[in-house]
Amino acid sequence: MRDVEGQLGLPRPAHLRASGLDTLLRPLHRWVWSDAHRCAHKLLRFAETEADGGRDIARAAELTGDGLLRRLYLRHAMDELRHAEMFRTRGRAILVALPRQVAGAEANWLAPGERGLDDLNVDRERDDTLLAFLHLSERAAAMRFAVYSEVLTKDPETREVFDTILRDEAFHMNYTRKQLERVSPRRHGLRLWTARLHRVWKVYLRFAAAFASVMGAVILAVQYFLVLPVFALAAKRASRREPRGWTDTAGKAHPLGTQY
Amino acid sequence: MRILGISAHYHDAAAALLVDGMPVAAVQEERLSRHKNDAAFPVAAIEHCLERAGLEAEQLDAVVFYEKPMLKFERILTMALREWPRTFSSFPQAMKNTLGEKLWVKGLIKSWLGVPASKILFAEHHRSHAAAAFLTAPTREAAILTADGVGEWATLTVGRGKRSPEKTTVDLLREIRFPHSLGMLYSTFTAFLGFQVNEGEYKVMGLAAYGTPRFADDVRKVIQRTDDGAFQLVMRFFEYHTTAKRSYSKDFIDLFGAPRAPWEPLDPTSDDGRRFADIAASVQHVLEEILVDMCTRLHDETHLPDLCLGGGVALNGVCNARILRESGFERVFVPPAPGDAGCALGAALLADRVHFGNPDRDFPDHPYWGPDVDPEELARIAREDGLSLTEAATDAELFERLARELHQGKIVGWMDGRTEFGPRALGNRSILSAPHTAEQRDRVNKSIKFREEFRPFAPAVPTEHASTYFDLPPGGHRLARFMSGVFPVREEHRAKLAAVTHVDGTARLQTVDAASAPRFHALIEAYGRVSGVPVVLNTSFNLAGEPIVNRVVEGYSTFRRCGIDLLVAGRYIVTKERAGERSTDLESKEAAE
Repeated sequence: MRDVEGQLGLPRPAHLRASGLDTLLRPLHRWVWSDAHRCAHKLLRFAETEADGGRDIARAAELTGDGLLRRLYLRHAMDELRHAEMFRTRGRAILVALPRQVAGAEANWLAPGERGLDDLNVDRERDDTLLAFLHLSERAAAMRFAVYSEVLTKDPETREVFDTILRDEAFHMNYTRKQLERVSPRRHGLRLWTARLHRVWKVYLRFAAAFASVMGAVILAVQYFLVLPVFALAAKRASRREPRGWTDTAGKAHPLGTQY
Repeated sequence: MRILGISAHYHDAAAALLVDGMPVAAVQEERLSRHKNDAAFPVAAIEHCLERAGLEAEQLDAVVFYEKPMLKFERILTMALREWPRTFSSFPQAMKNTLGEKLWVKGLIKSWLGVPASKILFAEHHRSHAAAAFLTAPTREAAILTADGVGEWATLTVGRGKRSPEKTTVDLLREIRFPHSLGMLYSTFTAFLGFQVNEGEYKVMGLAAYGTPRFADDVRKVIQRTDDGAFQLVMRFFEYHTTAKRSYSKDFIDLFGAPRAPWEPLDPTSDDGRRFADIAASVQHVLEEILVDMCTRLHDETHLPDLCLGGGVALNGVCNARILRESGFERVFVPPAPGDAGCALGAALLADRVHFGNPDRDFPDHPYWGPDVDPEELARIAREDGLSLTEAATDAELFERLARELHQGKIVGWMDGRTEFGPRALGNRSILSAPHTAEQRDRVNKSIKFREEFRPFAPAVPTEHASTYFDLPPGGHRLARFMSGVFPVREEHRAKLAAVTHVDGTARLQTVDAASAPRFHALIEAYGRVSGVPVVLNTSFNLAGEPIVNRVVEGYSTFRRCGIDLLVAGRYIVTKERAGERSTDLESKEAAE
């Protein structure tokens, strides 16, 4: 595992700073990261996200027919694996030093990790659409990690983790952009805009699905309390009559033609 | 007849195809979709099976699903009612899950495959397990025991199977019903010990060797035997039947102490680590005690020499070995895929032999039913990426070179033939290493598998040498064929097999037979000639969180991302040395600027 900055001499670019919205929300970010338990659990969550992202990118490497992209994706995947390990190690180190406690809310919607709110079906993506997705994803993550680094003034070790990862993100942003221009020289701008719109569409879908899920849960919960009690009483009485131990099934095999 | 078996929707989705009673292909969806434990409807696996046979879906005579969805729904609904109102939080989720997709399997199969409803059949979950265990085993008549978390209602069944030219029967005689379940008991302890359910059960078994069963009496408080030889869980210790959030209750914590958080380091030499190891040893001990007793009773009842074990609990190799030694059965058969994936094959076999009454056929005794590797693909990628590529002139030359490399401490990624069906790498998608030193084991752990240090690695040994190095009871060779038993390493060989000998002096070995795995067998023999010990460390070819590799390109991607030294497919050997002059760093820099 290598440090990309060390190997390639890429400095952290000046444009890698928090977005305007994140700058406005800095007090909230400071609050999110001020609690050591929450911070540790978020880092562990980030570790999972980075590892998942690494697997996606490794899959992209397996699917692409472009030799250069394959090599770059593999390198990217290894970076993600290393990031996962860095987050995991730091999260565990914080937790080990703290008294046992049930974790509070992680506030993942407010402070997600890399691709924390995106999902990706690598098998369905072409090289250009995938590169556009990755570029936007890496860029968003870099800006987010920049604000996390800025608010972690009282935790220099965690801040160092974010700063190290940020330097890798710079490489990821750069190569995805350059390679997008290479594989889609005439339409790379369009691909980026399409990817942006796709992200917005996915956010809408996620909200819509969450809303539908809540509605479904409410309707089922109402039924649970209004319709089920009578049947529950009967089921409870029937269960008391069930024998202990074995249930005889000899000669009672269900025919294959039915779902019952 | 052309019969397709399908398992899906819970974990381990898979498809298996029989043509005229013989298997053509069987593969887990995860190997193709590349999502570990993929439970989705196995579209890719089905496509592979049909492609392998050169069939279209409409040419199928039957499609068999591995369980009965309506019966399962009945259990879910009944449990929600019985435990009302404690099921308040789980009820909406359970209903959304079931009513969303899982209940409508017939429609799903019709829409994906376009086969008429009359061709779609449904086997019972545990009968599928029983058929997968019995109808793939080289025996004519056997007792059968299946155990897992839960199927429709059954969690454990016993029965008997008989094959004859006239008629095949797979009869289940009695069952233990949900919520009383050995699989759920073990999974509850898996969760309590901080491991992932349906994934970390191996870890509990590995950890158990570090402990002593001092909590066995406490475990017996949560699982009690009944007068008829069955068992019953004391449900106040559990919550899995009322909520999906946690499987153990506050009473369970009062009994065993605080659970381990998944992120906590687990050091079996620390106080807490020892407690967790002792708890693992205790649940393992009680599981063995119950299953050995049940199998002994089954042997006394059937007087048959053979036992077929199925269901996820049959992956517990320590328990299987004790059953072989103590229950009275002479031979114990565990299929390579005893879990839910294997049910796809079991359901298809059950339909063929029992439902349609087709003539009995001997099932080929190997696990290699998945997609093939294409060595030329490896050669092409290695050339493109400028890596050192060599092609051995003959198999013998290849094996001699690999044997030398292994003996020098190199780690080999080995891909050969068709992918194994089931959770274990049995020599066709394996990472191989010398088995001699603890340092080599640590190297494999740290540079490739990134897994807990207390988990052992498995040895592979040619069948004819197995008894020299391992203390195998009668029938042990057979049980070890698909890595289904854990046996002692002979004391005099433990020092030179340190990388594969667990802390208690045992190993979960694979006996390799020249007839079913000729190239793997020849490689180990070649290693034996070089090192003096014909045993290799064999671990699955994957990284943590990923399924076992399938195609060459997936093996290559794994090879590039971890510390494997050589990658082999066919007669090609790739190393990480660069054949060209350009470095990857320079290329990466140019690609980003």
